[in-house]
Amino acid sequence: MDYFIHSRPSYSLAEVTLNPGEQLVTESGAMAWMTDNMRAETSVRGGIMSGLSRRVLGGESFFQNTYEAEGAPGVIGLTQGQPGDILAYEMDGEELLLEKGAYLASSPGVTTNSDFQGLRGLFNEGMFILRVTGKGTLFFSAYGDIQEIEVDGGYIVDNGHAVAWDSTLDYRLTRARKIRSFLFSDQITMEFSGRGRLWVQSRNPRSLSNWVYPFRSVKSSDDG
Amino acid sequence: MQIDIHDNGAFGSALVHLDPTEEFVSEAGAMFRASDNVDIDVTTRSRSSGGIMSGIKRMIAGEHFFFSRYSVTDGQDAEIGLAPILQGQVALIECDGDARWVCAGGSYLGSAVELNIDTQFQGLRGMLSGESLSFLTVEGRGPLLVNAFGTITELEVQGGLTIDTGHVVAFEDSLDYSVGKAGGSWISSFLTSEGIVLHFSGYGRVYVQSHNPDEFGRTLGPLLPDRNS
Repeated sequence: MDYFIHSRPSYSLAEVTLNPGEQLVTESGAMAWMTDNMRAETSVRGGIMSGLSRRVLGGESFFQNTYEAEGAPGVIGLTQGQPGDILAYEMDGEELLLEKGAYLASSPGVTTNSDFQGLRGLFNEGMFILRVTGKGTLFFSAYGDIQEIEVDGGYIVDNGHAVAWDSTLDYRLTRARKIRSFLFSDQITMEFSGRGRLWVQSRNPRSLSNWVYPFRSVKSSDDG
Repeated sequence: MQIDIHDNGAFGSALVHLDPTEEFVSEAGAMFRASDNVDIDVTTRSRSSGGIMSGIKRMIAGEHFFFSRYSVTDGQDAEIGLAPILQGQVALIECDGDARWVCAGGSYLGSAVELNIDTQFQGLRGMLSGESLSFLTVEGRGPLLVNAFGTITELEVQGGLTIDTGHVVAFEDSLDYSVGKAGGSWISSFLTSEGIVLHFSGYGRVYVQSHNPDEFGRTLGPLLPDRNS
């Protein structure tokens, strides 16, 4: 497998070349284009229950597509739904945790499972994250620019900006709360501790939707 | 204090490195990453413009009521990452203490705590036009971070220049400026939706943004379900 990521970080597209017989698993909807010798198979990867938990819990799609190059090398272009960065990461037996929606694609040796994050996830963007293990290439994506941080001790990330992190890191949700801020919203943050890598995104889709909100028309009263 | 601008395509951001004694202020909520020895205080006051009234003035100016203020807790070096909401570039302006800077309300991202931030309300004429004419004045010596929707261009005014208010990011106060209309009359200006412009004269620097955030909002807003008032 060979890949190149175009137009990072604004409008990233991962162009992946597969040798005959090689496979790539993708989030459904990630395929933008492909050569005609790519055979696609839609499946509920890991069976119905695993698919259900991934959909309901991890925020990823129920179905995943597996693409295989037949007869000759095949090429596939993958993108996410929002403008932003794509990172390719070589997994070598370690474990990564991915925020909801960050998973894009992986080689077959990489396995994904939804993970219940308990009550500490209640204020999170999604209550569940994706646990990724195995060996092979993992593609993950984000809104904005992805920045890698080496955490040794502790690090703070605004809720909604964490994309992925080593499972060696622990985290908890905290509020940057001071008495004077009681009138307005607190900034909820994720506080990471331990040793490992952390990837964050420089923009947040939720902030964008909040920004657009005041531009909506006001519902007139006689509409009920 | 060292500030790195991550000018990455459409998604600019700033990484501010603080010495143990340094502090920084930003638009509330602009922090997206920070080392864990940073204390985040949400405050109504920047240095000299304290109190509830200046907070209300800021609210009128279309800015968040609160600033976030960052200080270092443990005597070590610290870092804070700041990013705007919209796509676009982030620029660093080194205020030298000679000229004041005027920053469009939505373009302020952050500043050193040594800089005094105050608001100027541009009055009824701005309100009538439907454009939010709000500006922060920035005084003193130190770094100021601004953000743009799209790309930022620095223009040198020598003589006169007219800029649509929606495209103004920041300008030096050494410039004279007046609020005016682009068209021949207020009505034609309204009809062509060129809106309100700033006429600059004199000598000084102006930062402009390639896109107007309000235009973007007015494009998206009507496509969404109505909101409750």
